[in-house]
Amino acid sequence: MGMNVSDAPLFPFKRSRPFDPPELYARARAERPVFPVTLWNGQRAWLLTRQQEFRAVLTDPRFSGEFARPDFPAVTQARVAIDKGERAFVGMDNPRHGHYRRMFTKEFTARRMNALRPRVEAITADLLDAMAKKGAPVDLVEALAVELPSLVMCELFGSPYEDHTFIMNCAAGRHGLKQSPEEAHRTARALVDYCRRLIESKEKSPADDMLSRVIAEHVVTGALSREDLAEICSMILRAGHDTTTNMIGLGTMLLLQHPDQLAELKRDASLVDSAVEELLRFLAPVQFAPRRVALEDVEIGGALIRRGEGVFALTPSANRDEAVFASPDTVDLHRDASQHLTFGYGIHQCLGQGLARIELQVVFAMLFERFPNLRLAVPAEQIPYKDDMQIYGVYRLPVAW
Amino acid sequence: MNFRIRIDESICIGAGRCVDLAPELFDQRENDGIVVLLQAEPDQALYDKAVRAAAQCPARVIVIESPKP
Repeated sequence: MGMNVSDAPLFPFKRSRPFDPPELYARARAERPVFPVTLWNGQRAWLLTRQQEFRAVLTDPRFSGEFARPDFPAVTQARVAIDKGERAFVGMDNPRHGHYRRMFTKEFTARRMNALRPRVEAITADLLDAMAKKGAPVDLVEALAVELPSLVMCELFGSPYEDHTFIMNCAAGRHGLKQSPEEAHRTARALVDYCRRLIESKEKSPADDMLSRVIAEHVVTGALSREDLAEICSMILRAGHDTTTNMIGLGTMLLLQHPDQLAELKRDASLVDSAVEELLRFLAPVQFAPRRVALEDVEIGGALIRRGEGVFALTPSANRDEAVFASPDTVDLHRDASQHLTFGYGIHQCLGQGLARIELQVVFAMLFERFPNLRLAVPAEQIPYKDDMQIYGVYRLPVAW
Repeated sequence: MNFRIRIDESICIGAGRCVDLAPELFDQRENDGIVVLLQAEPDQALYDKAVRAAAQCPARVIVIESPKP
């Protein structure tokens, strides 16, 4: 990119290579780590490109994460429409955020997530069997990346399997960079309406799932309204589907493009936990979040952020921070990548990160064990990437074995 | 020789990283996922694990009180 680091260029920027964030991020880290940009509506915002400022801002009460604030930064007009309608705790500051989040944390403890591992393995085995039965070529996104998180969410959360395409479309349908505000708003409300009906049906016939438990513990007792639960339910369903799907598709593509690294994973299955952390670090599919807005003037990283100006904590850039990771642009499954910020930082750090880790650890261990000769069924240049989405990934990944 | 760990459970968000990284030192309450400190003065052998868990706690709940001797 020819732009000067002293400009405030229009954000977001384009990638020049499929697996690397826009080139300007690296220059910003070196020369101007808190980097000024201009948003679609002319508003000034700042990019946090290094871990130091990323962690500082996300733990600083002088920055707000209230999505509904009129000055909250967004990459598109459609995103503003979604933010204005967001009622779940993802878009709240403390103490409201903590009040609601604590009703759900017990469902995502490390112990509960580990107890789910055998079920995730069984679901994955079934999906790999189905791929084998169908025969190559198979679109791995359709056959595995979409299916696994959907099936896991069905069991854990209690959303009916037959609705998973609708849920996935709602989850992915809000991330388009070229989407109209009306369409974004409609998609967001459609999922909340769906959740309202799902809550009604679970109230009538409870099952052994998260939604039924939350209703019994918090709705029946009057601590949580049905309306608030529908909003939170929508947030959890979205988060549980789209992000993991993109990590599976993109992670498989990255490994296939790095055969030396993949060979090491195949040789030593115990490498998978560290491999997953490295994939999370390197790929960071959530591109333009977390976001905050300054509640007062704050000096940080050589910049003066004025009250009311927005901030994007750029995970894809912080995960390539030279001060934290040696040779950050190299994929190294052996490195300790666990300092990545892919799940965010501060009080909003991903509630479902334990679940995501288990799904990814299981899938990358079992996929290459079952299909050691897995390969692309089309030339790599034909793989379509989600350059038009806020959550990055591959649209399709035809594979053979 | 032991070292000291302090936690502030009032700011815990139940992310569970500490349990992943140092299960000998941390657990989560069954009813709300909030951190439980299993050993307040653990053996020196667990120092590096404790530091890693503290560094990765997203809500900065964990404080290592005494430095490595």
